[in-house]
Amino acid sequence: MSKLLVPASSKVLFLGNEAIARGALEAGVSVAAAYPGTPSSEVIESLASVARERNVYVEWSVNEKVALEVAAAASFAGLRSIAVMKQNGVNVASDFLLHLTASGTRGGLVLVSCEDPGALSSVNEGESRYFARMLEIPLLEPADFQEAKDLTKWAFELSEVIGNVVMLRSVTRMSHASGNVLCGKLPARSRRAAFRYDGPIMDSQAGPMISTPVVAKHLLHQDKLQDAVALFEKSPFNRYTGPARPDLLIVTASACSLYAHEAVEMLAVEKRVGILKLATTWPLPPKLLTRHLQAAKKILIVEEVLPFLEESVKILAAGLSADIRKKPHFGKLDGTLPQAGELNPDLVAAAIGKILKVKLQKLPASYAAEAAKASALVPVREQTFCAGCPHRASFWNIHNAIALDGRDGFVCGDIGCYSMAALSPATGYSTMPTLHSMGSGTGLASGFAKLAPFGLDKPILTVCGDSTFYHAVIPALINAQHNRADITFIVLDNAGTAMTGFQPHPGLPVSAVKETVPAVDIEAICRAIGAEVEVSDPFDLDRTSKILTRFLSEKGRLKVLILRQACALSPEKKGKKRFEVAVDETLCVGEACGCNRLCTRIFRCPGLTWDRTKKKAVIDEVICAGCGVCALICPQKAIVKTDLSVSPS
Amino acid sequence: MAKGLSAQAKLKKQVLEQSLCTGCGACVGLCPYQVIHADRTVQLFSCDLQEGKCYTFCPRTSVDFDRIRRILYDSKDITAQIGAVKGFYLARAADPHLRAKAQHGGTVTALLQLAMEEGLISAAIVSGQNEEGEPEGRVIDKSSELIRYAKSRFTVSPTVAAFHQMPDGFGGKLGVVATPCQATAFAKIRTSDIEGYAKGQSLGLVIGLFCGWTLSPEKFKHLLGQYDLTYEKIIEMDIPAGRSVLSLKTAGSDVEIPLSEVDACVRTACRYCVDSTAELADLSVGAARYGGECCEMAGWNQVIVRSETGAKLMNLAGAKGVVEILEAPAQAFDALKAAAAEKKKKGLKAITIKTGSAKKLLYLSSDDPVVKAYLKG
Repeated sequence: MSKLLVPASSKVLFLGNEAIARGALEAGVSVAAAYPGTPSSEVIESLASVARERNVYVEWSVNEKVALEVAAAASFAGLRSIAVMKQNGVNVASDFLLHLTASGTRGGLVLVSCEDPGALSSVNEGESRYFARMLEIPLLEPADFQEAKDLTKWAFELSEVIGNVVMLRSVTRMSHASGNVLCGKLPARSRRAAFRYDGPIMDSQAGPMISTPVVAKHLLHQDKLQDAVALFEKSPFNRYTGPARPDLLIVTASACSLYAHEAVEMLAVEKRVGILKLATTWPLPPKLLTRHLQAAKKILIVEEVLPFLEESVKILAAGLSADIRKKPHFGKLDGTLPQAGELNPDLVAAAIGKILKVKLQKLPASYAAEAAKASALVPVREQTFCAGCPHRASFWNIHNAIALDGRDGFVCGDIGCYSMAALSPATGYSTMPTLHSMGSGTGLASGFAKLAPFGLDKPILTVCGDSTFYHAVIPALINAQHNRADITFIVLDNAGTAMTGFQPHPGLPVSAVKETVPAVDIEAICRAIGAEVEVSDPFDLDRTSKILTRFLSEKGRLKVLILRQACALSPEKKGKKRFEVAVDETLCVGEACGCNRLCTRIFRCPGLTWDRTKKKAVIDEVICAGCGVCALICPQKAIVKTDLSVSPS
Repeated sequence: MAKGLSAQAKLKKQVLEQSLCTGCGACVGLCPYQVIHADRTVQLFSCDLQEGKCYTFCPRTSVDFDRIRRILYDSKDITAQIGAVKGFYLARAADPHLRAKAQHGGTVTALLQLAMEEGLISAAIVSGQNEEGEPEGRVIDKSSELIRYAKSRFTVSPTVAAFHQMPDGFGGKLGVVATPCQATAFAKIRTSDIEGYAKGQSLGLVIGLFCGWTLSPEKFKHLLGQYDLTYEKIIEMDIPAGRSVLSLKTAGSDVEIPLSEVDACVRTACRYCVDSTAELADLSVGAARYGGECCEMAGWNQVIVRSETGAKLMNLAGAKGVVEILEAPAQAFDALKAAAAEKKKKGLKAITIKTGSAKKLLYLSSDDPVVKAYLKG
């Protein structure tokens, strides 16, 4: 049995995201939809793994906006539903979200946003908490794994009380860490779906689900939000620990409350510092806050990333007595804590120490010396594509085609593993100078292609992954075709949403719950748009390079190249080598070769290393994925590949 | 000490970015970093080696003509205008079929065939085209196939690259047909004293071609387009003696393009060239023409025999009767020297205008006696 289905009162070690999934199951969720994105993906993967047993419809949607729409439909029909995404996804979903919060919801609808302070696996550390304030919906933030489960379950109930979406925000350190969770009951029965729309327009349970009359519905929406505030005042998820009249009150939430507790302990100031850990971070419960602000001498707000909570506290304090207003408030706005990146216990301890003028006991000098010595031993590791990654071959081809063309063409990047081409010049061979949101590479390329009359006359290329193609590229591609943008559009089709863990996408004939579904063909879509389409294997350097060179030389239209080769870590490839690759030491002339270590200095596959003693290239058999591409680039033909798919007999 | 520029970076700065690249291929085929594409020498990736054959063999990096002349030629044969001269003849292939298929007298093809049949060379590198229609060096090891490459295209093939790409273990001697810039590269290769590099020894015969300029294929393709022509349609190209036109023979009617229009398509690098007779070859061959008033000896070549190797081959060709040889009239010799001197003056003038100094002469040295002789005049 899946641990997600354990009976009530069991204590289970859950990943934060599994705890959220269990919370949704305990709430009786019927529909779950998401687009994969680190650190959110495990919520849906967990629900998908028990979808049959719990009668939940689970899907990987084409993008986050559609995921929220799918979840909203369930809510309108009275079911409980959940839409899960990473922080960027909320931006994608936000257009619908704005209208959804105006029309309201019926069955409990929880929007889970798993955010990435410090951008550990993102290209931004954007915040979605501001959406809660902007769209006037409750925001909940769990501070441990038990809360991740319990708050999720409660979020559904809250959503039904106020008739609107509830946003639950997690962060990487919550979603991807594990802790013990005491489980509750799983409901015995699932709800039946029914959508009523024949009632009066202002009847949120029986009328049509629309945002008009706008002002009247907006007022109703705001009224109901006050019901949430009333519940927040009494919520057991908001907890205070510390002295009755602390020298310093820390107001915090989420994983930051763990850092605050640890920092107080490190400084041994438990008797002077109180911690108000909030789970309901918007709207703030004013009475609860007032009580604690009143009792403290100084206030420090600890949160990631921007001073969202701090602003809310200060706005609240501004309306309170002069006595509270005058108390010093510390946080990000005054520079006590940074407004970017993750926090940690050290940063919080330093902030508390500064405010209370307490010194953290320093580590002994000998320890610091040892630590410095050890850190020098850590090898420098560059961010790079895996051994056997098709993207390395693709960018090799792209680089060479751009170089041969000689007009300094460049690639507009997009979101996927291939984003690394922009982050590390050695990975993308310095071809990709732009990187923004999903699908924006094609839009940017479409724009760059129009700048020739203004003096920017270069070949414009853009890349996107297969999953990204469906997510956000299609409108930009249509734009390029319709507006005659002369671009070379390259789909790096590695047969799955590889970066987030091989979730299926519309191009594959399999669903989130492993059912057979129709695959939507990228090639056919591009042809239908009217583009010239070529398909090639990026490992076929000769053919791919020829197509690209031709595309760059032919002006005036949209050209599409689909580079198809499965990810080296894909389930069908992982651990299986197509080629046995080896360096023939009699042929590799090492530093005497005119190649100047092309293989390890320029091509830089991690499976190929330089033997400093022998001064020859060598294949690291453990890391080599057996793609065989390096054999094609060695001018001496010293890298030899043997096809393992051909049996020796 | 701070590291200087890599050989590749110097090549880029001193040759490619100065529009001095002749497209000869001397820097290509030695390593994976440089390739020829669409008549351009492309540096694919940066190579940080301080020394490189790419830089050393380039005919447009500094050339020590004195040293090369000393090694390859007899000092008493040296002339200022056209390099070493052991003999000067009018010649043509004895075989009329060959003459019909070749440019002018077919002497080059006849000499190569002979060299191969007599075992003086076992293969020859000539100028051909790849499947994309771009010029490339072709290695031919059957004398019967040579005739297919007998026509002039007025472009430079990266022939030297084909030489570099020959396997090191290649046993026999190679013959090459070279424009003056290519002959310079081959002379650098033959006379190089790079440790561990002995491939120059496999060059058995360098037949030079007279060359006034070559075309930039890209620009010329554009010009052809204005005449509703493509490269593929051209059967033969020639500049008829005494006329300022480029005559193109096609399957349909022949087309003549005024040289004033063709001039715009001349490769920039050719304007800085001072060698019209492939001075550093074993023997050099061109169309027989001498002076405006004299009619061309249609169907004949002029041949300058320069080295011992060249002389031996020419004697053998005469003895075997594969080439008909006439002593050239002194008038022709003078006319050729005068034309070559004119090219030297023009090239040197272009160089000094480019650098703004008579001391800075790019790949040439202001101390070279030949350079000195033509610098002023």
